Amino acid sequence: MKPIIKVEGISKQFRINPGEAPSRRYDTLRESLVKLVRSPFARNQSGSDIIWALKDVTFDVKPGEVMGIIGSNGAGKSTLLKVLSRIIEPTSGRVELYGRVTSLLEVGTGFHPDLSGRENVYLNGAIMGMKRREIDTRFDEIVAFSEVEKFIDTSVKHYSSGMYLRLAFAVAAHLDPEILIVDEVLAVGDASFQKKCLGKMDDVTRSGRTVLLVTHSLGMVTQHCGRAILLDGGRIIRAGQAQEVVGYYDVMCASSQ
Amino acid sequence: MSLLATKTTEGPVLAEHGSARAASRNLSYDLPDKPVVTIEAARSWVPLNLRDLWAYRELLYFLIWRDIKVRYKQTVLGAAWAVIQPLVTMLIFTYFFGKLARVPTDGAPYPIFFYTGLLLWTFFSNGVTGGGNSLIGNSNLITKVYFPRLIIPSAAVGAGLLDFAIAAVLLVGMLVYYGFSVTWAYLMILPLIVLTTVFALGVGIWVSALNVKYRDVRYALPFLIQLWFFVSPIIYPSSLVPEEQRWLLALNPITGIVESFRASLFGRQPPWAALAYSGGVALVMLVYSSYIFRRMERSFAEFI
Repeated sequence: MKPIIKVEGISKQFRINPGEAPSRRYDTLRESLVKLVRSPFARNQSGSDIIWALKDVTFDVKPGEVMGIIGSNGAGKSTLLKVLSRIIEPTSGRVELYGRVTSLLEVGTGFHPDLSGRENVYLNGAIMGMKRREIDTRFDEIVAFSEVEKFIDTSVKHYSSGMYLRLAFAVAAHLDPEILIVDEVLAVGDASFQKKCLGKMDDVTRSGRTVLLVTHSLGMVTQHCGRAILLDGGRIIRAGQAQEVVGYYDVMCASSQ
Repeated sequence: MSLLATKTTEGPVLAEHGSARAASRNLSYDLPDKPVVTIEAARSWVPLNLRDLWAYRELLYFLIWRDIKVRYKQTVLGAAWAVIQPLVTMLIFTYFFGKLARVPTDGAPYPIFFYTGLLLWTFFSNGVTGGGNSLIGNSNLITKVYFPRLIIPSAAVGAGLLDFAIAAVLLVGMLVYYGFSVTWAYLMILPLIVLTTVFALGVGIWVSALNVKYRDVRYALPFLIQLWFFVSPIIYPSSLVPEEQRWLLALNPITGIVESFRASLFGRQPPWAALAYSGGVALVMLVYSSYIFRRMERSFAEFI
């Protein structure tokens, strides 16, 4: 069967200047001009380092597959998700996606505190790629799921953080993409609401959706993912059956301690 | 605890032998032959991709709607602010530049002369300022979701159209009060508004992209907008400038637009040459800045 996600040799290079404080990451016009005057031919000598956040990453995902991506901090998981979500561009390589993609790097992207719950559902839905008609038809379902019916016309800034997250998750849970890319962001609500979310995501994957899941919870990977890939230093160091990859990662972590 | 229960009951679907099992699932769609999306490192000039923009037109609508909704939340006067700004400025100009300094107006009454200029200028300068700062203001979207980034500055400029429409109601009232009659020349007004929008988009998009990389823009912009105001015929007519220097004033595309706006309202012949020049510059600027924007767009998420 043809893959729905085809990742071929993706690499991503970042330039970092170690001497610089994070707030000074961006250049000012003057700095650029000064640099240009001082060294018009050297493009990149001010001690800036190159790091490869991803290096030659290749894998396929088949339709309906649920695939886990694991690795320690800084292994390149988030960068990979951002490349697949078209938020940052790879330095080289090629990705082919054969379906509509929605990526959930956080819930409630674009929520505006001054707008009401109702308005935010529409705004967030539109930002996540839903059509207005789709939101119309699913609106009641979303609100019922979030359990904030009573406050749906109240400004979101007056919500408790739990209510806020429940509404945000409710919109995310009613997206209808063919490919879903999820970062580990979905731990919201109290115990009973979490259970409800689990059930919802179960439905989502049963309907034949392809899911890419980044997580630190190895238990979740063995339990829910068919396959997994293990990233380290921007490279895939292990790929295959979820159980086996998680086992390898466990051994790797244990031996490095 | 994490939430995603993504249960695959069939077990691992491996590339070699899992395909039959994967196919047996109730897949509700067939894979297209060509990829829906291809991600690659782009070449130096990327095409505009108007199809992508069209596909996201609803988001443009929602962002404009958000900007308008949010702008007057928790204000007492609400949308009246759209009128107050040009109205008060007009009153002050009428007193100082009109009654005291006696600036010539080519025969138009002072209040309406200043208000026509201020109406267009307020729309244009708010569009450029709002558009220019829009990417920075929406950095949370840029780092989390994909959509054509051109939508963000476009929405900021588009939201200004409502303020323009509200403020224009007062202009209609003034036209009636001063006894101007409706003529065929009024047909020019809509194209002139479109032209102003195109020019505001052209400048706003360009500034917004520069602003992501060079934060100097944020400080330079108010100052430059103020200078631009003084070299535009808002508080004076072009005819005040000596004939041999007038071409200099006309280099500013705003000149042709404002003069044509007044001419069509006050029943005079619009300066066609200056207007054609403004239209040309506005179009070239929009195309140029869109390409610049597209080229810089791919690194926005890393710089913002």
